Amino acid sequence: MSNENVLLSIKDLHASVEEKNILKGLNLDIKPGEVHAIMGPNGAGKSTTGYVLSGRDGYEVDSGSATLDGQDLFDMDVEERARAGLFLAFQYPVEIPGVSNLEFLKVSVDSQREARGEEALTSAEFLKLAKEACKQVNLPVSFLKRGVNEGFSGGEKKRNEIMQMILLKPKLCILDETDSGLDIDAMQVVANGVNSQRDSERSFIVVTHYQRLLDYIKPDFVHVLADGKIVKSGDASLAKELEAQGYAWLQTEPTEDEIED
Amino acid sequence: MSEWLQHAIAHADSIQDGFADQRAVSLALLKDTKWPSRKTEAWKYTPLRAVERSSAVVKEESPELAPVDVVGLDFLELTFVDGQLVSMPEDLPEGLTIEMQESDLFTTIKPERHIFGLVNDVLAADVAVVTVAENVKIDSVLRINNLLSNGAQGHIRVVVELEAGAALKVVENAEAHGATLTTAYTEFLIGVEAHLEHYRFALQAGDNVALGGSHFKLLGKATLNSSIIGFGSDLQRIDTDIIYAGEKAEAKLNAIYLLDGTELFDLHANVEHAVPNCTTEENIRGIAGDRSRAVFNGRIHIHRDAQKTLAELNNRNLLLSDKAEINTKPELEIYADDVRCAHGATIAEIDKKALYYLQTRGVSRSQAQLMLSFGFINELIDQMPTAALAEWVRPIIRDRFAQMEVK
Repeated sequence: MSNENVLLSIKDLHASVEEKNILKGLNLDIKPGEVHAIMGPNGAGKSTTGYVLSGRDGYEVDSGSATLDGQDLFDMDVEERARAGLFLAFQYPVEIPGVSNLEFLKVSVDSQREARGEEALTSAEFLKLAKEACKQVNLPVSFLKRGVNEGFSGGEKKRNEIMQMILLKPKLCILDETDSGLDIDAMQVVANGVNSQRDSERSFIVVTHYQRLLDYIKPDFVHVLADGKIVKSGDASLAKELEAQGYAWLQTEPTEDEIED
Repeated sequence: MSEWLQHAIAHADSIQDGFADQRAVSLALLKDTKWPSRKTEAWKYTPLRAVERSSAVVKEESPELAPVDVVGLDFLELTFVDGQLVSMPEDLPEGLTIEMQESDLFTTIKPERHIFGLVNDVLAADVAVVTVAENVKIDSVLRINNLLSNGAQGHIRVVVELEAGAALKVVENAEAHGATLTTAYTEFLIGVEAHLEHYRFALQAGDNVALGGSHFKLLGKATLNSSIIGFGSDLQRIDTDIIYAGEKAEAKLNAIYLLDGTELFDLHANVEHAVPNCTTEENIRGIAGDRSRAVFNGRIHIHRDAQKTLAELNNRNLLLSDKAEINTKPELEIYADDVRCAHGATIAEIDKKALYYLQTRGVSRSQAQLMLSFGFINELIDQMPTAALAEWVRPIIRDRFAQMEVK
């Protein structure tokens, strides 16, 4: 292990999508229990960071490294990264009709427990946990029986993501614009869910375009991502500054829209 | 005429009952019909070798057989064993009658072009006629069981009439114990504002031959919700016809087929929009593994006067093996100009975004693929209106799917 005190270590990461360079030398170290916010203009590479770390097809690592708990992330399959403790809350969660939410959650938890050498939960044990998690994010229990995200509103999808996070208990959670499309009430529910999972071990990357989510989820550090690298870091007050000033001071070239899907 | 057919209909004239006149017409038609070959469009991908080679015979005596239990449902059972009607429900709810006498509907709903339908006209010895009286809504589910013992040939026929405003749930259930051959045809007249909920379970895999059809005629504002679920076998062919004879009628047809080994399953669905303002929705989904072959033909015929028709046909297929084969053919014939008609047929690939999403939760790629493939079928099971039937059939489909290998 290079540094036992670091949970996630990203070093000089360059990555591209469809042969277009998006990340251009990203460096970031996150220690256990820390909450880092990544802010920045559209097209800076915020969502790409989550996709590259989680291993989405089409997101190519050109150079650099990323380790989670000392393990090389880029050496692992998507599911292995998840089992190692990485969780990505999607900006646009996928609808999967025909696969019930409950089955999806149970298989996910079972897979991760199995990978850790833990015994599988019985259906009754799991159902109890799932119902509690539902309650915690204000989703009716009937949502467990529905197809994964099928016909859920934007806010319900986001709450479903947080519910998965609560059940999977990851080491590192990346929240990709979890606040987008949420009204204040829904954002508070989401933030409460996140805050309930904060402890001295679990770390978070909160990717957001706006400062308002950070009123509810207080970050330890705020980074400004622009044109594929971090151009400024600071404490929570940096987010307030950005709110006041916008991103114009970055004086970057206008970038194309970030590739989301 | 093939040797099999000649042999099969040799004793056709001996059945003398109230249907004799109609049987004679069908026999004459049958004698004029050419035995299908590869060149016959309706049988292009479905060779009849399995019929020609079948050694199944009409038995003099049959063992006692009972249909499978479905938890949570107490059916009204109409049970045929080897083609003979062996039991009728004892206490029928008021307004529901089942009789074995002549019916004007016999052979009038099922189109003449189905060669094995003609065979069935001639050979089905016990024709059951079910009637639901005007405005009577039957809560219980009527189950028509077509049970076959090893080596048996059986031909069953049921005619169902829902009078105006009536409602009925019907399950057609086939169970084959060994090498068998059956023809099983049903004809349904769904009266004005009547509602039929219909299921056809053809889960008899193995070395049996099954030829059959469910044929529906809908009068004004009638509604039909039909689910067909089939496994393949040596030969499994189902023809369904939905014929609109009154305006503002609606039909929904969901079909699922799941094939393994060297099985063959063939569904021909034909919809006749003969009048204006009717609506059809068809969702047909299949999975073919190993060296199996699925055939789907979905024809929607919108006649010249059938303005304001809404018709949608969606056929999605998933191949689990590169030796499996799916022959799908949507056929739209539209002669009216003010209609909305859409169709799509795809050999589906697993949705990559969904696969990635499941993997990011720690689910292995192979398990995620299985979940998504089953989900594709399960979505239609979820839509079955009678939950107890969905809960019964879901694990049966799931088990079969789990046994199918990706290669």
